[in-house]
Amino acid sequence: MSFSTMLAAMGEGMLRTCAIFFLTLLFSLPLGMVVMFLRRSKIRVVREVTKIYIAIMRGTPLMLQLLMWYFSPYYLFGLSIRGYRFPAIIIGFAMNYAAYFAEIFRGGIEAIPQGQYEAAEVLGYSKTQTFFKIILPQVIKTILPSVTNEVITLVKDTSLAFTLAYNEMFSLAKQIAASQTSFVPFVVAGVFYFVANYVVAFVMERIEKALDYYR
Amino acid sequence: MKKMIALSLTAVLLAAAMTGCGGSGGSSNTKTTEAAATEAATEAAAAGGNYVFLDETLGVESYAIGFRVGDEELAQTVSGAVQALVLNGTYDAIGEKYPDIKDYLCLNAEDIDESTLPEEGSGDSSYTFKHGFDLDYPPYSYLKDDGSVGGFDVELCQAVCEYLGWGYEAVPFNWDAKDMELNAGSCDCIWSGFTKEGREDDYTWGITYSNNTQGILVAADSGITSLADLEGKIVGVQTATSAYDMLEDSQADLAATFSELKVYETYTIAYNDLKAGAIDAIAIDMTAGSFLIASDGN
Repeated sequence: MSFSTMLAAMGEGMLRTCAIFFLTLLFSLPLGMVVMFLRRSKIRVVREVTKIYIAIMRGTPLMLQLLMWYFSPYYLFGLSIRGYRFPAIIIGFAMNYAAYFAEIFRGGIEAIPQGQYEAAEVLGYSKTQTFFKIILPQVIKTILPSVTNEVITLVKDTSLAFTLAYNEMFSLAKQIAASQTSFVPFVVAGVFYFVANYVVAFVMERIEKALDYYR
Repeated sequence: MKKMIALSLTAVLLAAAMTGCGGSGGSSNTKTTEAAATEAATEAAAAGGNYVFLDETLGVESYAIGFRVGDEELAQTVSGAVQALVLNGTYDAIGEKYPDIKDYLCLNAEDIDESTLPEEGSGDSSYTFKHGFDLDYPPYSYLKDDGSVGGFDVELCQAVCEYLGWGYEAVPFNWDAKDMELNAGSCDCIWSGFTKEGREDDYTWGITYSNNTQGILVAADSGITSLADLEGKIVGVQTATSAYDMLEDSQADLAATFSELKVYETYTIAYNDLKAGAIDAIAIDMTAGSFLIASDGN
C-alpha cells in the first residue's frame, strides 16, 4: 500500500473525526450553559439532580456512556437501534462534555464579584440585561483557557467512537497498521491530532486576544 | 431448551471439526461431514437456537505460534515441546477443558516422530519464556471468571514451559501493537489464536496446533441461509481478525455485495448489535462464535 493510498483511506476517517468534533461542540456548549443554570438553580431538587448528573458524566468512562446511550433503547425498551449509531455517539459526547463545560461556566460566573451585579442594578439594568451585557462577556474571557483544554481533549477523545464501530480516523489507522504490519499509520494519526490541536490552540488564542480589550 | 441448543451446537462443531486438520487423514470424508454439519445446523434452528452459522463458510485457517523472524531454534524447541505434550496426553487434556476448541485441535500422536523432541526438563531453568497474547480472545486467551489469565493457548504455553523447565511470564498486549511488542522483545512469541495464512513471511512459525473455520453467524429466523443471501445486508466483523482479512482479501467479492461491512473493536459489541437487530450477520471464526453463543446463554 503506497503512502498516498494510506492517506486517502485515512482521509475519510478524518472527516468522520471532524464530524464528531464539530457536532459535539455545537451541542455541548449550549447544553453546558443550560446545565450550569440548573446547577445554580434556587430550587434545591433541581440543583441536586443536576449535581448527580454531573457526577455520573464525569465519574464514569465515556466509553461506557457511549455503550449505554447506544444500547439502552434496545435493552430497556426493545426499540430498534438500526441507524441510531451516529446519533448515539453525538448524544454521548455532547452529554458528557456538557457536564464539564457546565462546571467551567459555573467557575467563571462565580468568579464575578457581587459588586458587578449591584452596580448594574443601580444603573437600572434588568436581570437578563445584566447577565448578557455585563456578566457573560467577562465570564467568556475568564474561562477561555479552560475551554481550550476541554476542546483539545475532545479532539483526542473522538477515537472512543470506535467503541460503537464508528470508523473514525484512529480506528482506520489501527486497521491499516495491522493489515500492513506498519507503524506509519500511527505516525500519520499522531500528526493529524497534533495539527488539529495546534489549530484549536491557535484559534482560541486569537479569540482570547480579540477579547482582551481592556489591555 | 438451552440444553437442546447446546447439544445441537456441539453436533455442528463436531461435524465441522472433522473437516479441519488437513495433511494426514481427515480429508477423505469432507463431503459427508459437511452434510452432517448442514443437518446439525438445521436442527439447531428447529430447536429454537437463536443464532446459527451458515453452512457455507468463508474458509479455513491454521493457528500457529509466531516467533521473531530468525528465532528458528526457539521455534523448534517450543514446537517440539508441544508435540511432546501431545504424546503424553497433556494437549488433549487441556483441550477437554475447552469444548469450543477441542474439535479443532489437529495434532495426533501417530504423526509425531518421537526421536526429534526435546526431553522433559531439558530447558535452561533460569530462562523465562514470555508469552505474548491478546487478553480479549476467548477461548484461546482471556481473563477467567476468577480474574486470572486462562484459555487454551495460555494453558498450553504454561504446560510447555513446565515441560521444558522454563519460567512462564504472561504478556497480555493490545492486539494492534503485537508486532511492536514482539520486535521490541517484550514478548518472545505471539500465541493467541494467531492465524498463519497471509503472514507466512512475517514471522518464523512454530507448529500449527489448531485449525479453525471462518463462518457467518446469523439469527436463526433471519431468513439468511447462504452467502448469496447476504447481499444488501449489514455484516459485522472485528478489526484485525482473520475474518476481516478474508473479507478484505480472498472474499472481497462477497464483501462487495454487503450493504455495509461494520468493523468493530471487539466481537462482544458486534454480538450485542446483532441481538439488537442493528446488523444482520457477523463474520467470525467458529470457535469464537460458538463461545459467544454459549456464554450468552449463561
